[in-house]
Parts: sequence; C-alpha cells; structure tokens
Amino acid sequence: MKDFVISRLGELVEELAKDDEQKKAWEDFLIDFAEVCGKTDFKEELKAPVSNLLQHISEKELSDGIGLLYTKIDNFPAVDVYKALVEVLGKKNDENQVRIAELHDTLAELSTPIIQLWQDVLLAPVIGTLDSQRAQNMAEKLLESIADTRAKVVIVDVTGVSMIDTIVGEFLIEMFSAVKLLGSDVILTGIKPEIAHTLVKLGIDFNMVIIKRDLESALKYSIRKFAKDAEIKQPNPKRGDADEN
Amino acid sequence: MMDDKNFNDIDINVHDYDIVLKIKDENDIAVSRQMAKSFAQKNNFSLADVTKIATAISELSRNIYRYAKEGYIYIKKKETEPGKDISIEIIAYDRGPGIENVERAVAGGYTTSQRSLGLGLSGIRRLMDSFYIKSEVGKGTVVVVEKRRRRF
Repeated sequence: MKDFVISRLGELVEELAKDDEQKKAWEDFLIDFAEVCGKTDFKEELKAPVSNLLQHISEKELSDGIGLLYTKIDNFPAVDVYKALVEVLGKKNDENQVRIAELHDTLAELSTPIIQLWQDVLLAPVIGTLDSQRAQNMAEKLLESIADTRAKVVIVDVTGVSMIDTIVGEFLIEMFSAVKLLGSDVILTGIKPEIAHTLVKLGIDFNMVIIKRDLESALKYSIRKFAKDAEIKQPNPKRGDADEN
Repeated sequence: MMDDKNFNDIDINVHDYDIVLKIKDENDIAVSRQMAKSFAQKNNFSLADVTKIATAISELSRNIYRYAKEGYIYIKKKETEPGKDISIEIIAYDRGPGIENVERAVAGGYTTSQRSLGLGLSGIRRLMDSFYIKSEVGKGTVVVVEKRRRRF
C-alpha cells in the first residue's frame, strides 16, 4: 500500500485538495501516512499527521477525503484513520473546554474593577452580562472597597450592559441597598434608552438611588455635594463632629 | 397547536423552528439571550425591540432554569405575507412543577422564590405583543409570546 500511495501521490492529491494550500497539506499527510503504514501502533502514529492536516482543512473535508481514499486504495484502513480522527477531535475539544474555563475565570477577574476616582468617590463599571456568580463577586468586591476607602459616593455605571432583566435588576437593587447600609450614596449612570424602556415595562424601579445621565454629571454632582457639606461644616468648627463626614 | 385538549398533547414540531435550545444550566440563559438577540437583529428589528426580545427570552429561560431545572426554548420567524409583517414567536416549554395560580403569577409582584421580585411573567407580557401561558401543576408550563416588527 505504501508504494501504491507514493506512486500515485500526485494524482491522489489532485483529487483530494481544493486549492494549492490544501494540496501541500494533503501531500504531507499522504507521505506521513505511507511512512507509518503497517506499523503496529499505526493508529497512534497517525494522530500527528491527522492533527497537522486539520490545521489546513475542515473536519468535513477530511472526512470526505478519507471516504475518497477508501474508494481509491485497496485495503485502506479507514476505521483506524477515523479512530485517530475521533481521538484527535476529542483531545481538541478537551483543550477547548479547558480554555473556555480559563477564559471564564479571567473574565470574572477582569470584569469587576472598582476604581477610586476621587477622594471619597468610587466607580464600579458593570460590563457585559451578569450571571449570579459574577454578580456575587462584584457585590462583595464593591462592599469591601467601600469599607476600606470609606467612600461617601459610589458611582455604578451600566454603560457596558446591553440588557437588564429582572435578575440583573434584582441584583443591582440588592447591591444598592447593601451599599446604603454602609452609609454611602449610590449614583447610577449610563442607562441606555432601549434599556430604560425595558426597565419600565418590567416594572423595575431604581428609585432608591440617584440617577445621572453619565459619569460626567455624576462626578459634578458629587463634587457639588462635597462642597455643600464642607460649607455646612465650616461655620461651626466647635461642634466636635469635624472628623465625621 | 395550543389546543386545550390535554397538556401532553401540546405538539411542537421542532422542524418549524429556526432555533431550538435546551436550557439546563445557567450558561444556557446567556446563550439563549445571545441567539435571540442576533436572530432579531438579523430580521431588522429596532434596537429597542431587540432589547425587549432578548430580555423576555432571558426571563423565560431563567424561569425554566430556576423552577423546572430543564426545558426548551423555541424561536421562529413568522411571516403573514412574504416581506410584509414579520413577527418572532418564542415558546418556552418545560415539564417542571407547573404554576399553581397562573393568574396571580402573571399579575406580578408574586413569587415563590426568595430572591426574586416576581416581575418576570408580568414583565414578559408587557414587553411582548402577545402572551399565552398554560400551566398544570405537576405537568409543566408552556409560554408562547410574540413580538411584531414595527414598521417605520
């Protein structure tokens, strides 16, 4: 079989490949195939050529190719080639699963930054979709940061959120209540028009917090508020509450 | 299809639907939402309506995941005349515990789950153009909703 494949290499490649790049890939595969042909651990040896080939052609094309080779070559070990293919794909799939899990973890870490914008002002940008795990992470991180920094104002920005359904709404309401229990004010910013409409339809009400159009107006609001607090504090320095607020 | 015969007789022909999704873990909720969103976008729904459809799907799959643990979402495009009025139909189907008092659940503000506002079903009804629910305790729940494409 080895000699047969080598002798008709050009002809086989011509029939298998759809373009020049594939020709090279199929040629390499057939040469490797001829090399390992007849070895005892044939199936194992074939895995590397199969996975090389898969970098250049689709699974469907490879499968069709095996079918074609089966009709062209007598005693073509189609079963073993398929076995090798299935195992290669299985391994690839496992690797992808691991990669997805890793990305998921990375995303969870990346997606909940808490930024100190100003003295006493924290920013919590919410990005993407919130599932219960991410929501939990974010709330915990935010509450800890508030306790650490003694922030007076927390700006929660939802510009990066494409949709707020009842579960995300519930989570936000819970988080806002917890923040208020720590004695900080919450400013919600960045609600998009289509989300505003959806929220009204759903009956979700964020009336427990201050809502501002964007980050800029939220910051202006906080600065004004601090200035006002300072003014009130100024005339009565003897009250003894100077360390508070 | 939705005859009032017998609950188990509800016959959903999988081939009629453009998208069929099995909901069995939390990630499937996000998947269903993404697929519905791109499906509505592809059919030229306005951004506001895409968001409403995505939100409704999200609520429906959440209900399946939360109460029935497992179920299906079916999505299809409906066309009365080619190129004319288009709507998207969504069916959420499960064989979960069913809803004891459907009217109360749909009215809103009622929930059996502790961490919930109880706004889901009533919200879905307000987000969509038509809403149908059938539920039997111990047998399951079917919700059929539809959103028409508005013409500008």
